[in-house]
Amino acid sequence: MIRFILKRLGSGLVVLFAVSALTFFLLYISSGSIARNILGDQATPEQLALKEAELGLDQPILARYFRWLVNAFGGDLGASWFTSEPVTSSLATRIPVTMTMVFTAMILIAIIATLIGVAAAVKRGWVDRVVQIGAIIGDSVPGFVIGVLLVTILAIQLGLFPATSTISPGSPPDAWVLSMTLPVIALLINGVTGGAQQIRSAVIKQLERDYVRTLRSRGIGEREILFKHVLRSAAPAGLTVLSLQLIGMLGGVVILEQIFALPGMGPLAVTATSQSDLPVVMGVVMYTVAVVIVVNLLVDLANGWLNPKVRTS
Amino acid sequence: MKLGPKAAITAITVSAALALTACGGGTAKPGSGVPAATALTIGALADVRSWDPAQAHVGHTLQPYQAAYDSLILREPDGKLSPMLATAWKYNAANTVLTVDLRTDVTFSDGAKFDAEAAKSNLDHFKKANGPQMAQLTSVADVKVVDADTIDLNLTTPDPSLEYYLSQAAGLMGSPKALGTEAIKTEPVGSGPYVMEKASSVKDSQSVFNARKDYWNKDLQKYQKLTFKILADITARTNALVSGQVDAALLDPKTGKQAEGAKMILAKNEVDWQGLLLMDRDGTKNPALKDVRVRQAINYAFDRKTILDQVMLGQGTPTSQPFGKESGAWDEKLENKYPYDPAKAKALLKEAGYASGLTIEVPAIPNFETQISVVKQQLADIGITMNIGAALTNTFTSDVAAQKFNTMYFSLFQGEPWVAINQMISTKALYNPFKNTTPELQAKIDAVQNGGTDANKLAQEVNKYVVEQAWFAPLFRVNQMYYHNSKVDVKPQIQMAVPSIYNYSPAK
Repeated sequence: MIRFILKRLGSGLVVLFAVSALTFFLLYISSGSIARNILGDQATPEQLALKEAELGLDQPILARYFRWLVNAFGGDLGASWFTSEPVTSSLATRIPVTMTMVFTAMILIAIIATLIGVAAAVKRGWVDRVVQIGAIIGDSVPGFVIGVLLVTILAIQLGLFPATSTISPGSPPDAWVLSMTLPVIALLINGVTGGAQQIRSAVIKQLERDYVRTLRSRGIGEREILFKHVLRSAAPAGLTVLSLQLIGMLGGVVILEQIFALPGMGPLAVTATSQSDLPVVMGVVMYTVAVVIVVNLLVDLANGWLNPKVRTS
Repeated sequence: MKLGPKAAITAITVSAALALTACGGGTAKPGSGVPAATALTIGALADVRSWDPAQAHVGHTLQPYQAAYDSLILREPDGKLSPMLATAWKYNAANTVLTVDLRTDVTFSDGAKFDAEAAKSNLDHFKKANGPQMAQLTSVADVKVVDADTIDLNLTTPDPSLEYYLSQAAGLMGSPKALGTEAIKTEPVGSGPYVMEKASSVKDSQSVFNARKDYWNKDLQKYQKLTFKILADITARTNALVSGQVDAALLDPKTGKQAEGAKMILAKNEVDWQGLLLMDRDGTKNPALKDVRVRQAINYAFDRKTILDQVMLGQGTPTSQPFGKESGAWDEKLENKYPYDPAKAKALLKEAGYASGLTIEVPAIPNFETQISVVKQQLADIGITMNIGAALTNTFTSDVAAQKFNTMYFSLFQGEPWVAINQMISTKALYNPFKNTTPELQAKIDAVQNGGTDANKLAQEVNKYVVEQAWFAPLFRVNQMYYHNSKVDVKPQIQMAVPSIYNYSPAK
């Protein structure tokens, strides 16, 4: 097991390295005159040259990348070209916001999607049809549209929630809960409908398997069959979908964080990318890749834990 | 059935989730609450990049600095320049030395005293800090301390906009002890009406300020607490305004409708103009544009009023001149110089030898897709084909400077005449990349530069010249839609989309 984890972490590091190089060079090609972007349209050529020297842009690209790489290994991701704020400290204040949102949504999706999916698979009939139709509707409405609707009705018309986030340092927990509720619901709906569909079909498939018939013939109760055997075998499919959804959510939160003015990773990513603020973009990309690697590793571990057959592979 | 570890984990997560949703549904109450009468919350478009006063910018990016920093000169809402940290200022006869008298009773929030040395340190710092507005002090060769409360600004060349600049980024005064330190980048140290509350301020989320005790000018300090809530997204700004989380915010014609439905009050103000920049007037890349008749024909092609009504919901004023109404260079007679007249446009094209048509190219511009397609249509009606190229990217200023575009549709800020001339007309201007000029025009520009107090009036001649020569094809001046609730009075500030911080006061 330890060897498996180490191997996965090792390949994760290689991916991180490859992505960092790729991003760095792509940004270099598309960033254009960064000094001009920083200083604005009135800047003189002398000013531009001064700024470029200040940012180290007069160095060759390879030298710049290796300096970034060496610093990154030491935990220093540099500072924003536009605000001079260290990248690690902007990530440190923003990751908790985004992660709270994503993981709360994830846990709720896992629970609700499982309940709905299993209910649809076991009961079939009208319950199943309602779930199926609901899934299509829920899947076809983008999260940000749901977000805007929720704000208009629950925040502006009814005044139950703040229309935009009130989270700041030292905010009491209830400010977090109130500010997070609407964006989490907006994230939830797509996830639940997609997840429930997958779990439904996985459970149906298991219920039709021979071992279920055998268990039934031995007089084991339906409840025990479902919770002890069928769900365990259906779990890998559900977990895989959930992990894909979590990764997809990292994109979905970008727009939601803008609409709700949540000080998370989304606005940082958008601003940094549109300004070609290379150190910040690199930080954001590294964070995203790291999340993807860790989530995939956790899913593999969970699958192994649930189903010993997977461990050998 | 025995409860294994898996079941226990499930039980915990279920109850945690239920607890979360329960809090969400039960204790619901708007988080921000209603600000007290002496608190003001402004919905801002972006956070400042650095609180170093030398990094201050123009327009809406100047406003937050005004909370923490006083400027040498105060610019009134109508553009009049009044004393602030400077009590008086005067040019010598040649307009090359500006002598500035300073207040003696002002201290910075760290206790340092404001005096001539402090003013000199700030101006020197601004000149070398490489901020986005560094060009504001380009004409200043050096600053001399005359006595404890007087400085001389020695100029290399007369600069009619220098006094205006001293009311803007270049005039902001920070504590000489803090200038150049790392700390001032994240926490301002000025002599202004408010002091930042660092503990409650989060980068890109909100900046919180408290009224400074013993501030020297109580007339400019109208609130106990001032918060800039950063709302980059226009939907977020609209929602925050109509739900009462912020007291004022900049919207646009479309979201403005929603704000008006919620009884928000509009303080509108024309700040920019939109239209075509016909930049290749010497015909370097597109020979057709060398002929003034072609450029005039383009001007006659547009039904400005209809475009404004359809595209901008009528929020603006049709115009044929690029200078702003309050600038002093504006001329009533030029306002409708080129009425909608396709027949005349075609006749002019025929006269110029382009009866069979011609082609111009513009880059695509994000957010201006509708305007550009309407312009394309109206030009097609007079026989001009407009090809729309690749979209502008963040390298566009370099692309403009490199003469990549011979024509472009754009929105430009309408500043003071000398600022506007150096933005789009002089040979140094970024938006005159082909460096077009004539001896006649240069003489008019020189007259403005040396015109002293008559400079703005003299700029009318420059305006008249570029309108008659059809350097541009302006369509309209655009309204900035600044909305606020009934708890606050807001006076618009000329040439600024977002008012100066002094223009807000509790509603009576």
